[in-house]
Amino acid sequence: MSIVELRGLSVRAGSTALISDVTLGVEAGTWCTIVGPNGAGKTTLVETIAGLRRPSKGTVSIAGEYVSSMSERERALRVALVTQHPNVPAGMSVHDYVALGRTAYHGLLRAPGVGDRQAVSSVLTRLSLDEYANRDVATLSGGERQRMVLARALAQATMVMVLDEPITGLDLRHQITMLELLQKEVRECGLTVIATLHDLTLAGQFADRLVLLDHGRLVLDGPSGEVVRSQELADCYGMKLRVIDVDGADVVIPVRH
Amino acid sequence: MALVAVAMIVALAAAVVCGLVVGPTSIATARVLGDVLSRVGFGHTTLTPTQSLIVWQVRAPRMVLGLLAGAMLAVAGGTYQGVFRNPLADPYLLGVAAGAGLGATLAIVDVGGGLTTPGWTPVLAFGGAIVAVTLTWVIGGRGLRSSTSTLILAGVAVASLFTSTQTFLQQQSSTNSIARVYIWLLGSLASASWSSVTLVLPYVVVCVVICVAAGRALDVMSVGEDESRSLGLPVRRVRFIVIAASSLGTAAIVSAVGLIGFVGIIVPHIVRLLVGTSYRRILPISVVFGAAFLVFADTIARTVMAPSELPLGVVTAIVGAPVFVLILSLRRQMVT
Repeated sequence: MSIVELRGLSVRAGSTALISDVTLGVEAGTWCTIVGPNGAGKTTLVETIAGLRRPSKGTVSIAGEYVSSMSERERALRVALVTQHPNVPAGMSVHDYVALGRTAYHGLLRAPGVGDRQAVSSVLTRLSLDEYANRDVATLSGGERQRMVLARALAQATMVMVLDEPITGLDLRHQITMLELLQKEVRECGLTVIATLHDLTLAGQFADRLVLLDHGRLVLDGPSGEVVRSQELADCYGMKLRVIDVDGADVVIPVRH
Repeated sequence: MALVAVAMIVALAAAVVCGLVVGPTSIATARVLGDVLSRVGFGHTTLTPTQSLIVWQVRAPRMVLGLLAGAMLAVAGGTYQGVFRNPLADPYLLGVAAGAGLGATLAIVDVGGGLTTPGWTPVLAFGGAIVAVTLTWVIGGRGLRSSTSTLILAGVAVASLFTSTQTFLQQQSSTNSIARVYIWLLGSLASASWSSVTLVLPYVVVCVVICVAAGRALDVMSVGEDESRSLGLPVRRVRFIVIAASSLGTAAIVSAVGLIGFVGIIVPHIVRLLVGTSYRRILPISVVFGAAFLVFADTIARTVMAPSELPLGVVTAIVGAPVFVLILSLRRQMVT
């Protein structure tokens, strides 16, 4: 049963088609990664799923309800968003930043309740951010900062999380740490993840399923192992790709002509 | 925070005492305070009828109007800085000052005929401010769909249009009228009365309450428009409400006291240096410090060159800038 359903989705910016007729279903408790070259429409797609863009045609629904007919609060209770370049306001503490994830629960005129404080505390512990709780967000390293942004999204306690290039700017170790934290949430808490990634190796290793986009159109949708070996993937990037098996994990290597 | 709370109480109490006690006519502090106590049922007043008139019909309304103006301008400045995520934003960003300036100039130079009575200046200033902000809102992307940067640009365009029209009117008018326009532009509490207090009070109370209540929403907005929407914030509705409240309150104050600059920028920044970046703290504390700051500035304005007065806008800048620099350097020292 799909928790996220895209039916004939098209998104335009003026006369330019950004997404054209995409139909896709993502099952609850799975990880779906969207891959494709620059300009394929990956960011537009996740922003539309998160309700930040309105479809020009077609629909996006989460748990059977249309995203475009939800209020901001209703959306925030169903889908959390991690953007490619999150704004981190200097001067705010890590605790207060993560607590922003509870806004939809306590509203704008009430202070966070006991449940909200427990949810924030639990997320800080799960992501090993306890010791940073009182630190100014501006003093965190890139890896710590990205973990904090993930914590804010997890504090929203939604069924679905969409992430746009969540590992941009992180070193290898922090990339893996971030993706493993996310995978743990999928496996242990039943979170549904829709993410965009440029790194095809990591995309293949962490996602249950890959969706290949090019020029706003869905080119291929299938299990990670099949998509990374497909000719369509190589064609979209316009280059030869080799996939080698390293201890049971697929590693995608671009080959220079 | 406890220290800040004490500082707030002390500043406010000192401002009230200053406003009632200090002035060109010397009246002993104890006698003024004795009169205040006698009005709430403790002891007897020792003020003469003339002194009582000076305290309650001249100084008290001026002090109360100063408190209201300082509170409104400071909280509106803080709110604008939050909603536009721009530390340089002040309450006049969307054209309130230019609109009010044009309105007041129209009244003072009397282009329409019959408008030179002092009563018309605040009415036209208020009208001009509201017209300017509404125009900015409409031009800057038709209200709710606009982005903050488009609104700011529209504000610049509208302010330029209104200011040039005002300059043209001044150029066509007499030297005497130009001098009166400049006196109004630099702000003053000299014409304060209980009726002007009664006129602005409802606007200020409602608008200050709305701005302070928006503190939590502005904290969420500090992560940007898209992210705050994804956190459940109805960004455009919140923006409309806080801009409307800040502009309406500022327009009411400007119509009563003219253009007093600097309070809206400097007070929220000083408060930010003291209590951090959360608007839940910045806005209510700015209300108190803004109120006290303006009464102190007015006390200086009306006493330094007595019996003539310094323009209030000049005093707020001369007093505010060094205080701001001092706090900034103290803060730097504490951090290093």
